Amino acid sequence: MSIMSYNGGSVVAMVGKNCVAIASDLRLGSQALTVATDFQKIFPVTDRIFLGLPGLATDVLTLKERFRFRVNMYTIKEEREIEPETFAHLVSSTLYERRFGPYFVEPVIAGLGKDNKPFIAATDLIGCLTLPKDFAVSGTASDKMFGVAEGLWEPDLEPEDLFETISQTLMNAVDRDAYSGWGAIVHVITPDKVITRTLKSRMD
Amino acid sequence: MNSIASRFASTSASAAISRDEEENQVAASMWGSTGGFGNLGQVGIPSFEIPRVPDPTNFLRMHTDDRNDPSCRIKIQHGTTTLAFRFQGGIIVAVDSRATAGSYIASGTVKKVIEINKYLLGTMAGGAADCQYWETYLGIQCRLHELRNRERISVAAASKYLSNLVYGYKGMGLSMGTMIAGWDKTGPALFYVDSDGQRLKGDLFSVGSGSTFAYGVLDAGYRWDLSEEEAQELGRRAIYAAGHRDAFSGNTVNLYHVKEDGWKFIGNYDVTTLHYEGPGNVPGAVPGGYGYDVRTEGLHSRGAATVA
Amino acid sequence: MECSFGLVGKGYTLIASDTNSARSIVKMKNDEDKIKVLTPHLCMAYSGEAGDTVQFAEYVERNLRLHQIRHYTELRPPSSAAWIRRVLADSLRSRKPYQVNLLLGGYDTSDDTPHLYWIDYLGTMAKVPFAAHGYGAYFALSTLDRYHDPTADLEQGLETLKRCIEEVQKRLIVGLPKWNVKIIDQDGVRELEI
Repeated sequence: MSIMSYNGGSVVAMVGKNCVAIASDLRLGSQALTVATDFQKIFPVTDRIFLGLPGLATDVLTLKERFRFRVNMYTIKEEREIEPETFAHLVSSTLYERRFGPYFVEPVIAGLGKDNKPFIAATDLIGCLTLPKDFAVSGTASDKMFGVAEGLWEPDLEPEDLFETISQTLMNAVDRDAYSGWGAIVHVITPDKVITRTLKSRMD
Repeated sequence: MNSIASRFASTSASAAISRDEEENQVAASMWGSTGGFGNLGQVGIPSFEIPRVPDPTNFLRMHTDDRNDPSCRIKIQHGTTTLAFRFQGGIIVAVDSRATAGSYIASGTVKKVIEINKYLLGTMAGGAADCQYWETYLGIQCRLHELRNRERISVAAASKYLSNLVYGYKGMGLSMGTMIAGWDKTGPALFYVDSDGQRLKGDLFSVGSGSTFAYGVLDAGYRWDLSEEEAQELGRRAIYAAGHRDAFSGNTVNLYHVKEDGWKFIGNYDVTTLHYEGPGNVPGAVPGGYGYDVRTEGLHSRGAATVA
Repeated sequence: MECSFGLVGKGYTLIASDTNSARSIVKMKNDEDKIKVLTPHLCMAYSGEAGDTVQFAEYVERNLRLHQIRHYTELRPPSSAAWIRRVLADSLRSRKPYQVNLLLGGYDTSDDTPHLYWIDYLGTMAKVPFAAHGYGAYFALSTLDRYHDPTADLEQGLETLKRCIEEVQKRLIVGLPKWNVKIIDQDGVRELEI
């Protein structure tokens, strides 16, 4: 049994036209046992950046705190909000600091940068950054999400269509994964607001 | 039993002989009239092609044991919740329908109740193929018993037949945890039979990875004098509970009721529909979803002090 | 085969733990109190590796007491839970991690809300309406899904707790005859008879 799938959970992020979306399931498990169905894995970093942390739940919680601390320090020192690209590198270097005793999470980052430029990124557990231009998946259902996303995603989706695409991708993938599901949450980041919706999904 | 033991103790020379026999049978079954049971007429127990390696049992285990080696080549499906209980109105049999291979949900529409004949049901937990094959085989033997003795086989005898059969293969990697439920001269009867050779008579059993969750609901709600509707609702609710909490159980519930005139299929219920909406307009069911958050929506535990 | 349960009701949190203390195949003691009172409105049921459990519980107890002395106020349940979790999470990557599973039950007197946290030895934490540790989780979580009521009065809450204990006593191969139950409400912590 792998540490990465001990608690279960999945995150997906997608690029749209002047918008990005990030979504996750809500399960917290202890192997096959479902402990809670309201476990958040996506956290706001700024008003325009969200961070998804699927993986070992203890590290999800620890890293949530550490990133909040580091982003706050950045904001105070620089006297401005952090940009998505910068934050992605912050994530990467924070993970690489633990190269020989890693945090068992594979983060996904979604945000809007300068001029509302959509940005998504994903890293592995020791901080190797990848910057896809379409979508990023991570977690126990990542292989399944790759399949669905390859089929559904198309360029320049408007926020509502992007919401539909990311929701369908997540839900259909998660329904084929024993360790993910039990509710889902979607955030669509647009230039003027963030739309957050919880989805009614399979509960088994 | 000796013939089996000697067959596996054999060297490659005698294995080759058994291969010739097998080839003859394959030729017969290729005509399509034997439904996979092509060698039934010749011996009591069907014979199987054995891998020609020094230790066939170990060879099989090496490639199928995904508990110790998740990257093994063949993942035999497991992870299940099945239950059956006897009560005043007969026997309730309820199962889930999920099949998993590792973390992948391979199917959500598996039939885990095997209809052996009009009066006998078998449930499936463990190796799907093992259960399916041997319980179908049991059905054939039960029919032969009927033809030979002009009398239906008792549930006790049928389950004992299966138990003896799988015990003959003990240690070779068969994996089954099954319940045989039926109605015979003695009334409703329920047996638990597994591939270790254990056979138990009882009133209430649950088998599979989600069985503990099913027991949690079952034990709290079980009484002998349950009405038929209450009993069906209890079986359905218990499988839902396991589907919700166990990652390897779920998708749908298949519900059966065994009565004096044979078994009856009550229905197929989606676990998620049960969670949000409940079983619908079904006798014995309380209206509303089974789900905890659905059931307790809007309720809070804030203390009385703030009200004042 | 240790086992603990927790649940919240209308204005209270209940925590229950078995009272066995075993070493190898021997039952060393059958009336061990494995629920520590941390602050006037906070309790912690602990289970896990012998030695680690009590050491960790006392460490937490002393540190929360220190906080109270320094700041003239007790730490509220969510903050206590976050701190305890972090201690476990940091310990996980030390040379010898604490192997302790916790149920943290508290009552926040400032907004009159009962709290229950499920925390395992990895530092995983979840705020839940009911919880279980040990093999009891596999039997009783379905019972609690079915019968738990967040608005239940104390009598109903104890009824639900009893259902869980009875289920474990009926199905778990190791019998757990004696249980220790504590309630945390606006009046503080009390022990209850069941």
